[in-house]
Amino acid sequence: MKAKRRVVTDIGPPMPSRAAVQRRGRTSGQSSAGATRASEPGSRPVPPPAQLDGPIDLTVDLGRGLVLPNPILVASGTFGYGIEYGEVVDIEALGGICCKGTTLRPRVGNPTPRVTETPGGMLNSIGLQNPGVDAVIAKYATTWERWRVPVIVNVAGESVEDYVEVVRRLDGIPGIAGIELNISCPNVGRGGLQFAIDADAAAGVTAAVRRATDLPLLVKLSPNVADVRPIARAIADAGADALTAVNTLSGIAVAGSRSRPLLGNIYGGLSGPAIKPVALRVVYEVSQVVDIPIIAIGGITGLDDVLDFLAVGAVAVQVGTAIFADPTLPVRLVGELEDACRAHGHRSHLGFVGTALPRRAAAPSSKGVEYRP
Amino acid sequence: MRLVGAELIEAREILPGQWLQTYHAPALATGSRAGQFVHVRTGDLSGFVLRRPFSINTADAATGTISIHFRTIGRGTEWFTHLRPGDVIDMLGPLGRPFEVDPRSQHLLLIAGGLGMAGVRSLADEAIRDGRQVTLLFGAASARDVYPTALLPDEVEYVIATDDGSVGHHGYVTDLVPAYEAWADQAFACGPEPMLKAVSRLAATRSHRMGVAKLGRKRGGGKAIPAGSPAARRKAFLQVSMEQRMGCAVGACLGCVVMATSGTPQRVCREGPVFASDEIDWEGSWGR
Repeated sequence: MKAKRRVVTDIGPPMPSRAAVQRRGRTSGQSSAGATRASEPGSRPVPPPAQLDGPIDLTVDLGRGLVLPNPILVASGTFGYGIEYGEVVDIEALGGICCKGTTLRPRVGNPTPRVTETPGGMLNSIGLQNPGVDAVIAKYATTWERWRVPVIVNVAGESVEDYVEVVRRLDGIPGIAGIELNISCPNVGRGGLQFAIDADAAAGVTAAVRRATDLPLLVKLSPNVADVRPIARAIADAGADALTAVNTLSGIAVAGSRSRPLLGNIYGGLSGPAIKPVALRVVYEVSQVVDIPIIAIGGITGLDDVLDFLAVGAVAVQVGTAIFADPTLPVRLVGELEDACRAHGHRSHLGFVGTALPRRAAAPSSKGVEYRP
Repeated sequence: MRLVGAELIEAREILPGQWLQTYHAPALATGSRAGQFVHVRTGDLSGFVLRRPFSINTADAATGTISIHFRTIGRGTEWFTHLRPGDVIDMLGPLGRPFEVDPRSQHLLLIAGGLGMAGVRSLADEAIRDGRQVTLLFGAASARDVYPTALLPDEVEYVIATDDGSVGHHGYVTDLVPAYEAWADQAFACGPEPMLKAVSRLAATRSHRMGVAKLGRKRGGGKAIPAGSPAARRKAFLQVSMEQRMGCAVGACLGCVVMATSGTPQRVCREGPVFASDEIDWEGSWGR
């Protein structure tokens, strides 16, 4: 088993496990990340590692005064409202917390079963269960205010008016550091997916929310589209401060009896390591057509995944599904990223950003003809 | 709730496809109560992205061990059977709310269907330690699936029902309940949902059928007991331990909910897994 894995990592797999890289790092006397980057064909030459002793600046400035202490966030829906994992995770070490999707009115969510494991991932169809924006503010805002870690409220809705009203109520509440617009929840009939698959609709809801608040505004992209670039561009032009890429991929599972789909809602969102290549592709494409920061999410289970996403243009990442198996992973990643910066001679993790992008981005496509799924 | 490394001490296949594993995890053995569960990590993230929840089958504070009882139903549970003594796995726990026994209850009726034994097994230990009498009604498909008597405390009265009649009562375990209803001060059930539903229906009509007087404060006197509180469960005749597909097991993902009569979905991992039976909306078609 061990020998087999070592052989596989030597030829440069798409996603070497963290343990494998650490092992290689020890044998070669190099840092783990250095070994990975240098071994990948086609990547830019890495500057010779020069050990740094000084402080490493991991902060990420998303604009409008929102400066994340580090680029490792936890994804919406996997970390509740930040308090659930409080007994086992040092939340103050995180770069940010995206809370569960919040709607104007309380929602009971979808019928059960709501989650199931799939090869290398999981399907979920929670259906935006939440107590409504007023209850969220009443219950959690004072707690969030005491935390140093920024809390970004994930907002979902069925209409532009819903989004605007939720954001208006969140605006000015102490403890709320930013808004993440969930225009791409695949699990509810009218959960806003219609906004994410159309550039005009996405721009419309982004612009309306932009007018309603001065809070930093993130917009979460859906991978369930033919070409994500015009949508990303439209959202950026409409005034979003940053993009989150990507939401879950729509999928289904079949019950053991083969008599019906497994999930109560039939459709679910696929997440986990299985979707990392898709997320990488979306970040790679989007980062070449927009000038606002991109927060990557999709299948991050270790430092290598973080560095991969930084290489294709993300400035920060969100960890989601992996938290369920390994709740302390995000906090560990902060330390590992700092070590990687030091080993590579970077004063900031921004030194890793965009290294795998084409030297000069091609002119943005208006036809999308070269896109082949 | 804490993350601990648990070392496998002993694993054996007690029934065809059913395993009993004992782990050394002192923090869980001393800090847990009957009805709570652990969320266990399987392998690395390349294959399994979710942990697996297991009821704490027995907890022995003296030796610092806990045991889990499971059936191999997929690749995840299969993985556990390949573990060898000395292997250390990652457990998150104890999680969820425990069974609440009224201090005045002397006669406890435990009702288990199949793997539901794992849910009520440790309550038998706790009750006997506290000097209570325990009757355990157990239902299984056939004799080959019947939990071995040797693994139960001697003091437990063990009554078996099998679907095919190969041992004990020929029929469902719920058929046995009426005979013990009058004897029992409180009942605790864990098993497949149709079984829990049937037992709950019996419990809901129990005081009416048996003419049980409502003791306690007069109407309007004292404070109302909030639904879902430990006090509400302590006062309930029947408590059920629910099962649901689970994601995070700490209340963050809202994956494992059951519908309550209040109309608000309740998280099995946080508000449960033990509920007062009248808290659950059994008739609803919401999630099945």
